[in-house]
Amino acid sequence: MAKALRVKFQPPLALTLLILGFFVFLPMLSAFEYSIRTPLTGGYGWTHYIWAVTEDDFFHYILRSMWLAGVTVLITLFVLVPTLTWLHLSNSKVRGLIDGISLLPLVIPVVAFAVGAQIAFPEFVQNTVLELPFLYFVLALPYAYRSLDIGLNSIPLKTITEAARSAGANWMRTITTVIVPVIRGSVMATIALTFALSLGEYTLTVLLHWDTFPTWVTYVAQDNILGAIAISMMSLIIPFLILTVITLFVPERSTQGRK
Amino acid sequence: MSSKSLSLRNISKRFGTVNALDNFNLEVGVGELVALLGPSGCGKTTALRVVAGLEHQDSGTVLVADKNISDVPAHKRNMGMVFQAYSLFPNLTVEENVAFGLQMRKVTKTVRLKKAHELLDLVGLDSQSKRFTHQLSGGQQQRVALARALAFEPEILLLDEPLSALDAQVRVNLREEIRRLQLSLGTTTLFVTHDQEEAMAISDRVGVMSHGKLEQIDTPDALYNKPATSFVASFVGTMNRIPTQLSDGHVQLFGKMIPALKNGNESGNVIALVRPESIVIKSTDEDANAKVLTRLFMGASSNIVCQTKDGTVVQSLMSSDKSGDLHPGSTVKLEVTNKEVLVSNA
Repeated sequence: MAKALRVKFQPPLALTLLILGFFVFLPMLSAFEYSIRTPLTGGYGWTHYIWAVTEDDFFHYILRSMWLAGVTVLITLFVLVPTLTWLHLSNSKVRGLIDGISLLPLVIPVVAFAVGAQIAFPEFVQNTVLELPFLYFVLALPYAYRSLDIGLNSIPLKTITEAARSAGANWMRTITTVIVPVIRGSVMATIALTFALSLGEYTLTVLLHWDTFPTWVTYVAQDNILGAIAISMMSLIIPFLILTVITLFVPERSTQGRK
Repeated sequence: MSSKSLSLRNISKRFGTVNALDNFNLEVGVGELVALLGPSGCGKTTALRVVAGLEHQDSGTVLVADKNISDVPAHKRNMGMVFQAYSLFPNLTVEENVAFGLQMRKVTKTVRLKKAHELLDLVGLDSQSKRFTHQLSGGQQQRVALARALAFEPEILLLDEPLSALDAQVRVNLREEIRRLQLSLGTTTLFVTHDQEEAMAISDRVGVMSHGKLEQIDTPDALYNKPATSFVASFVGTMNRIPTQLSDGHVQLFGKMIPALKNGNESGNVIALVRPESIVIKSTDEDANAKVLTRLFMGASSNIVCQTKDGTVVQSLMSSDKSGDLHPGSTVKLEVTNKEVLVSNA
């Protein structure tokens, strides 16, 4: 069956791959090809990558962005998993309202959001870089919310929650030892989305006058555009590698419908 | 096994305008298996969920061994529960599922796995301990759920229609297994079902519920043979409802005067409640008072449906070898074998 699917021509799949190929993979490949050019010799090499990793600020900014993204992921999971669990279990009418609110970051321009934050937040909040993970959390909310929502919709949440509680698990342990492992796929997708969005966020960060990896890349691009592209390619690969490591650390457990 | 008695005192619970439990009272003795039986929406599952702590009653108290646990959260009640829907954790293996309750109680891994294997052995699934739950059949999943509910030695075992999603033969086997385990472990058990055969087969006592109240609670025998109300009489087993007249404490049924058992202030036109097995059919042309409509062969017994001269349809349960000559259209004489007949208002 699987073999038949591989060889059979599927027009919708072909169209999707064509669009993805043209608008995603082709520009990325071109950027990569561009980043390994060595204009002086006319060939290819890793000069710009070597330059990037030997830059003093490279590791400073990549690590800074990564821990900010990590904090954002933690905030997202700590806030959204219990909230969505409660919304699903209670069948509360508030759920429709929260669904709507979760979409707001998609329609509010980031510039308006940044200016509003500068006006509204007290000084002690604006003085700490920790304001960024909370704001990144808001920006990632539409994607993270839907990813977890789909996961919770796909499991018999009420029954397994009640089974866990009657077996002696309090709410915290029910969430951490039962719900999160059962919706592992959705949780991993949420981590990936939130991490990637936080790592690459530029507009809000620069408007709030913070320096992170993306703002630094823009800065170095003024002097070395090929180096900046090399850095950008690495910033694509690094989160991918991190998420692969996370996936390996949390081994897949066999679950119904997800063999 | 640390089994304890259970008492529900004056429990009331409303969902919006629906009165799910109305001043509900129940006593379950140590090691007893009590079934709550009733039609959909009668409040039986709500009662069970109140005991489990998954619903909180509006008023009344829940006592375990005379200790008030009304405000104790579900996870601290030490009650094992088996649900109607398959409720195993799909990310855990069979043995991990069974050991889950012990893990929550911080029992060491060695001890909890040993206990899990003991329980799996009891339900005949020790060989499946390393498998994931989706690799099991429905009956096996409910066996694992039963093992999980018993593994941490609960004070009370709660069964919420655990057999209703299973095939007929699996249901019969598993209900017998539940009873065997319950008796051997001596666990106080509250069993909710809408299947009267299931309730009667394995329970020490059966409580019949209607509109959030307990209509009657008694042994299966007493419930069947001496129903306290016409609802219980009609709900438990099959009951013929024969219109007749009550006079001087007697009713006339097929030409015979029989003492009437009243539950209230019945008088005048009443309905006599007679079990099919209490009606005997004699094939005759003389003195015939009914004719056979259908004969349903059910193996050792047959269900004969007759219509009396006044149009009342009556069922009789007879042994098949004595009812072979009763064919649709045969004229017959019906007789009631009861010494007393329960009556209700017409």
